[in-house]
Amino acid sequence: MGKSWLRVYIIKRLIYAVIIALGILTITFVLVRVGPSSPADKYLANLAAKGQDIAQVTAAIEARYGLDKPIWQQYIDYIGNLLRGNLGWSFSTSMPVIDLIKTHWIYSFQLILLSSIFAAVLGILIGIYSAVKQYTKTDYVFTFLSFIGVSIPSFWLGVMLILVFSVKLGIFKSYYDTALPLFSLENLKALVLPVMTLGTGMLAGYVRYTRSSMLDNLRKGFITTARAKGLPERTVIGKHAFRNALLPLVTIIMFDLGSIVFGGAYLTEIVFGIPGLGQVSFNAIFAHDYPVVMSITLIGTFMVLFINMATDIAYTYLDPRIRYD
Amino acid sequence: MTKRTRIPGKEISKPVYINTRLVNYYWQRTSRNKLAVFGLVFILFLILLALIGPSFTADPTLVDFDEKNMPPVGFTNIKSAYHIDTNEFTTTEIRGTGKHPLGTDGKGRDMLSMLVSGAMVSLQVGLIATGIALIIGTILGVLSAYAGGWVDNILMRFTDIMMTFPFFLLLVLIVFIFGPSLAFIVLAIGLTGWTGTARLVRSEALSLRTREFVTAAKALGATDKRVIFHHLIPNVMSLIIVIATMSIPGVILAEAALSFIGLGDPTVPSWGIILEAGQHSLDTAWWIAVEPGIMLFLTVLAFNFLGDGLRDAFDPRSSV
Amino acid sequence: MDNNVLKVNNLKTYFYTRHGTARAVNGIDFEVKHGECLCLVGESGCGKTVTALSILRLVESPPGKIVDGEVLYNNLDLTKCRIKRLRQIRGKDIAMVFQEAQSALNPVLTISDQIIEQIMLHLPLNKKEAHSRACGLLEEMGIPSVERVMNVYPHQLSGGMKQRALIAMGLSCNPQILIADEPTTAVDVTIKAQILDIFRDLKRKRQMSLLFITHDLAVVSEIGDRAVVLYGGKDVETAPVSEIIDNPKHPYTVGLIGCIPDISQTTGRLASIPGTIPSPLELPPGCPFHPRCSRVMDICRHQEPSYISISHTHKVSCFLYQ
Repeated sequence: MGKSWLRVYIIKRLIYAVIIALGILTITFVLVRVGPSSPADKYLANLAAKGQDIAQVTAAIEARYGLDKPIWQQYIDYIGNLLRGNLGWSFSTSMPVIDLIKTHWIYSFQLILLSSIFAAVLGILIGIYSAVKQYTKTDYVFTFLSFIGVSIPSFWLGVMLILVFSVKLGIFKSYYDTALPLFSLENLKALVLPVMTLGTGMLAGYVRYTRSSMLDNLRKGFITTARAKGLPERTVIGKHAFRNALLPLVTIIMFDLGSIVFGGAYLTEIVFGIPGLGQVSFNAIFAHDYPVVMSITLIGTFMVLFINMATDIAYTYLDPRIRYD
Repeated sequence: MTKRTRIPGKEISKPVYINTRLVNYYWQRTSRNKLAVFGLVFILFLILLALIGPSFTADPTLVDFDEKNMPPVGFTNIKSAYHIDTNEFTTTEIRGTGKHPLGTDGKGRDMLSMLVSGAMVSLQVGLIATGIALIIGTILGVLSAYAGGWVDNILMRFTDIMMTFPFFLLLVLIVFIFGPSLAFIVLAIGLTGWTGTARLVRSEALSLRTREFVTAAKALGATDKRVIFHHLIPNVMSLIIVIATMSIPGVILAEAALSFIGLGDPTVPSWGIILEAGQHSLDTAWWIAVEPGIMLFLTVLAFNFLGDGLRDAFDPRSSV
Repeated sequence: MDNNVLKVNNLKTYFYTRHGTARAVNGIDFEVKHGECLCLVGESGCGKTVTALSILRLVESPPGKIVDGEVLYNNLDLTKCRIKRLRQIRGKDIAMVFQEAQSALNPVLTISDQIIEQIMLHLPLNKKEAHSRACGLLEEMGIPSVERVMNVYPHQLSGGMKQRALIAMGLSCNPQILIADEPTTAVDVTIKAQILDIFRDLKRKRQMSLLFITHDLAVVSEIGDRAVVLYGGKDVETAPVSEIIDNPKHPYTVGLIGCIPDISQTTGRLASIPGTIPSPLELPPGCPFHPRCSRVMDICRHQEPSYISISHTHKVSCFLYQ
């Protein structure tokens, strides 16, 4: 069978992504323009406090930002700069924003990756178990715990973990040690509490999604067929039910990434002082370092855009029922 | 042919809040879920606390450094003091007293009073921001479904764009740009949180649009406005109630998280702001961080329980 | 030695629901002889499918439970034997073909995955041998371009093709007994005829026993050797098919036969049995059919009729014959 519809679909999906990207850039541009203060204002106040000539500095900064140009020119420059990977200059750290991000993204990445693995593996296993044992005591306990898990504010959980495990018990450090090499056991130990903080909510969510998706599929006719074949229960559940439950699960997990996980990682980094992008953005807020806050929001958004697109395209390979025309 | 025939679906085209038979039915289904009932009771308790609590508790802004870091009743804390006259450094054990049943913070403010006034903040944020988001989402969703064509296309692409933004990161950016006032935070959450509602309402309205009672209303000469406001919106009400209950916790948490990272309104004592202050004094006064967190957690849990119960109750396929 | 391959004695399967206990199967007896086609007949809701599922202990539990009775296969009680032993029998000695091929096939596995899986589970064949065996079976089912069909997913096949693939799967380990649960209900008339042909061929060529579940008496008359009529979770009449058709005894069977539309008669209303089948939650006392029976007597209302033989091969459970 020809796969030409697939190529057409991928091209369509790319065009759609470009439209969404333009929308994102436009909205952020408008936000900045209608905002009450110009990006330079707060920084100017700082400089003025140091006794510099305000008018001169204002002109210099406005020129740098292109604020003296007509608005459409500013819009085109804004998009053009971003396309060239020029995210602007960070006042507070005196380096290009892109360099700042290059040195710090790995900390966010390791936190999110480890938390996702922890949450997905455990969440899916517990979810399957809960579904198979539906209406038993164990199922009720897991369902109840998953309610608690999704309801615990992650940043508060982080503070509580520090209170119990570092302040009271002294097992873990309360602060992330940036001197540790990335691929070391010490680093892994330093990440235990942060991963629990970010991972608990994700874990509880995955338990609930997996359970309901598995329950949906365990009631289907092909499960009875599989049992009637004489297959052991392990195969019936692992192969026949789970493979069907997995696809909707992946969609939700991917959706969660943007709506919950990125925000959670931001807060977790602040609680534990992990120098990831969330922490960088947090510091930039206090330094009124405009381009940094903006860039980090944009990076998160474009990550979501990319992940959504990748998931959609991967789906056409993973789910034999899908055919886009 | 003078016999009047009952229009199919007329019964349910009455809004849920007027149709007592339906309300009774849904209440029966919801009340079978014990956790949902617990959620409802806790929410009612919280509303009562926020409304009449402040007249029974002390002034939450009252600073008293002599009574700082008092532990809750039943707990003890070590208080260290330096006496200038004797040049001595003494430590005394202090016990929680009935005057401050939940203890005091680092400035000697009463925790109970602060938590009670924080309840009002969280409820206001939760209800108003969710209300704004629901109104925007419902209007856009119904409009999109009803208008179809290019209107639908543009509205849905706009929704896609808004959905791509990670909710919290967008919120941080907006509050950072426009400054942290509570009114603005509420508005920002409302203006960014409508996307899910718009999509769900759109798909529900799409399926309703072709149902007989809408066709019948149109055949009788109802205007578009009338069809939308008298037929479509009342029928998506049950869906909206569920969405509302399910999205309030996220909104309350968003405000608390903003406060926690210093983007909260500094003039309003919200739970997030108390919590933020508390995390820096974990070794001297743990309860300052623990107590507002427990309130946040219980509130979110209550709304989640209720939302889950309502969703099952409104879902005709579920066998509650 | 009798030549029964399967014997079901006083089988009772109940479902414990929120609304009460549903007595879906409430004491059914029958036996399947070697090489015969036994039909279980009845309206929907009379317990046919639950009976079939109960034989291989496939009833979802909870809420369902086999509360009484036995299912004897070679003197092994399938309702009580170890689950490991039962799994060796499922799909190998006793295979099932389900009603709706659409939902009975796993949508994310190819046809070959699903057939080969079963063959390799029960037979000492390697993947290649299993593959060629599967191809042979599909060919036997009259499926054209077998290699293509092997590698597609269920949704890419038509309803008739799916049903054939499902039958091929059932036959893949050469079972002694094939249980077919309404295999012709979800397909249209021409396909139905073809599928019935397949079953008739099977019976002749393979000498296997068929337990055929249907609500359609026309189908029964075409392929059945004997029939068991079910009503309200009980068997009410058992006889050779010709007897059932020409000389029905139980008023319910009489009614069912009367419902078959006669294509040569173009006028007049279709006959029907008044009333509806009782809910398994509230089976009436006495004979379950008495509220609808045109020849109801006083005794029917509070006493259950027992099974009596009116001839060597014909049994009926009705007070009219006692």
